[in-house]
Amino acid sequence: MQELMSYLPEFANALLVTLGVSLAAAFIGLTLGFALNAARIAIPGFALIYSLYVWLIRGTPFLAQLAVIYFGLPVIGLRLEAVEASILSLALYSGAYFAELFRSAWASVPHGQVEAARVHGISRVRVFWHVQAPQAMAFALPLLGNQVILTIKESAVTSIITVPELTMTAGRIVSTTFSYVMPYALLVLSYWLLTSSVAAIARALGQRMTRHLRG
Amino acid sequence: MSTLPLLELRDVGKSYGANRVLRGFNLSVQPGEIVSLIGPSGSGKTTALRCMNFLERYDEGEVWIDGQLLGYSGTGRREADRDSEAKVDEVRNPLSMVFQQFNLWPHMSVRENVMAPLVLGKKMPKAQARTLADQALSRVGLSAKADAYPARLSGGQQQRVGIARALAVKPRLMLLDEPTSALDPELVEEVLQVIRSLADDGMTMVMVTHEMSFAAQISDRVVFMEAGQIVESGAPGPLFNAPKTERLQQFLKPWFNRSLTPRAQVTS
Amino acid sequence: MMNDFSSRMALYWPALIQGALTTLWLCAIGMLLGFVLGVLIHLLANGRSRAGVAFTRVYVSFFRGTPMLAQLLLLFYLPSALGLDIPPMVAAAVALALNTAAYQSQILSSGFAAIAKGQMEAASVFALGKYNTLVHIQLPQVLRLTSPALISELIDVIKVSAVVSVISITDLMRVSQQLVSQTYRPLEVYLVAGLFYLLLTSVLSVLGGLLERRWQERS
Repeated sequence: MQELMSYLPEFANALLVTLGVSLAAAFIGLTLGFALNAARIAIPGFALIYSLYVWLIRGTPFLAQLAVIYFGLPVIGLRLEAVEASILSLALYSGAYFAELFRSAWASVPHGQVEAARVHGISRVRVFWHVQAPQAMAFALPLLGNQVILTIKESAVTSIITVPELTMTAGRIVSTTFSYVMPYALLVLSYWLLTSSVAAIARALGQRMTRHLRG
Repeated sequence: MSTLPLLELRDVGKSYGANRVLRGFNLSVQPGEIVSLIGPSGSGKTTALRCMNFLERYDEGEVWIDGQLLGYSGTGRREADRDSEAKVDEVRNPLSMVFQQFNLWPHMSVRENVMAPLVLGKKMPKAQARTLADQALSRVGLSAKADAYPARLSGGQQQRVGIARALAVKPRLMLLDEPTSALDPELVEEVLQVIRSLADDGMTMVMVTHEMSFAAQISDRVVFMEAGQIVESGAPGPLFNAPKTERLQQFLKPWFNRSLTPRAQVTS
Repeated sequence: MMNDFSSRMALYWPALIQGALTTLWLCAIGMLLGFVLGVLIHLLANGRSRAGVAFTRVYVSFFRGTPMLAQLLLLFYLPSALGLDIPPMVAAAVALALNTAAYQSQILSSGFAAIAKGQMEAASVFALGKYNTLVHIQLPQVLRLTSPALISELIDVIKVSAVVSVISITDLMRVSQQLVSQTYRPLEVYLVAGLFYLLLTSVLSVLGGLLERRWQERS
């Protein structure tokens, strides 16, 4: 028990690193995904680049992508710290998934509404912001929460390049204290707590935002 | 001279929560008899039928099949008092069923559908089951379709497969739950013909149906139900031509002026 | 320069193929075991035991709410604490299986739910028995209904399996790490490894799409 107390502060720190890296990456990824989807809609020809990007990211393991960025980029002169590389890779990774999420959210808005707006002379940009975006976002919100959870889970992989997040810290504690069960049990519990909390928050937010639909 | 009834229901009842859908249902079926249950929607006739093979768990009264109590071992009638699946299967073994929605298994061919109860239910060797299945299919006129899949058949053909499946197990009593209600009108007759031929061969049946003239023709007894209870029952001739209760008269109004010739009278 | 790359590729190729086969083999076993477990979880979740239902909820929440890497480490090192020595391949296969079972149970449950209740009634009336009904009536149909979704899940398993490299299993990822330490060409090697993964997932994706189209035509 005393042992547990001794590494609890370290664990708490690691949890903050996990959260920090994940949320930073998720935020950038969300913006990136939104921009990718908007570009896909607005710029003719961009759809091909979009599809290629999504195909590459969703067809390969995150670990491979992280390896390319952290170990591979220095070859062409771009050397990043472990944390920087992690946030960048996670952002690029989640960006593809967020983009797909936004794509299906936009598709969920009945096209008739878009037609009606265009017919009445409302510009494409205005239609995007005032007709499609609000409805698409309401649709997307629960799924966004899920993607944040997936990002948090994927961040565990960054332990492999020694980012001082939860998984790496647990491993370190195991190798210094030689007790296996407690640290790893704490590890999974921490993630479980994190992801369950995010799920609950996303659910509550979702309820709030769709209140208008429930009459 | 009374023989042991093949199927007997004594004061059978069923409730869904506060809603009593069946009560005080009494029926005794001798081998070779054909009994039809008629009545408006919600009258409890389908529930009564489904209690006969424990598809619905009755919570009042007793159902006896060939001298054995179905579904329970003692007097308790709660969910916890019910017999094991194996025991229920054992007691209801002499019964088989034809369903309104046919309930064929879509991923199996016609022959496989008919064989399944024999191979999987009665643990019969495949070769023997195949022979019985082919006999049953020939009986309903579908030998040519033995290798076809249900999705390719018309509704009438599918129901005839359902009848073949119910026949192949050589039941002592057949339950038929509105066998033609899900069929397009032009397909009803082919199914009724098959049922009539089974009746002529002496099959014991209990049938829920809306086909009044058919019920009049083949039944030995007709039971009219309303609001979960038996209102009137008796031989089809007197029942259809001279209904005693006001409610049955009301129910029969659409058929009132048509001729309903019961089987018993035709043979004389 | 092109020639050099070709000769290096000749070096990479057999090792990467070997690694890819290990990955596929491991994922196939994990997927199959996970399928059986997934069916069991579905049965428990829809069964009569309240403890069983609660257990499945916790199980699914746990395995879907925690990272694969953490699950793998826990499963690999836990037996050591109890004095058992589990070979890495076994630990990895079990970890993948337990993980995918949580996802497969949800996929399969929707397949089971799609089977008309009447078919189950007929199975009951004709005394097929629970086991026969599951194996001969339900599973054949569930498999047909859920195969596109199961292929998607297999793709996910392949991607997630890359983390088994940390417990020294020579899967595709680990082979590429070894090649990097031999050739000092991380960008090249990892990109090629990525392409290998991409090939695997893309072929499966096409397969899944074909199956989905076949289904839509049938119904």
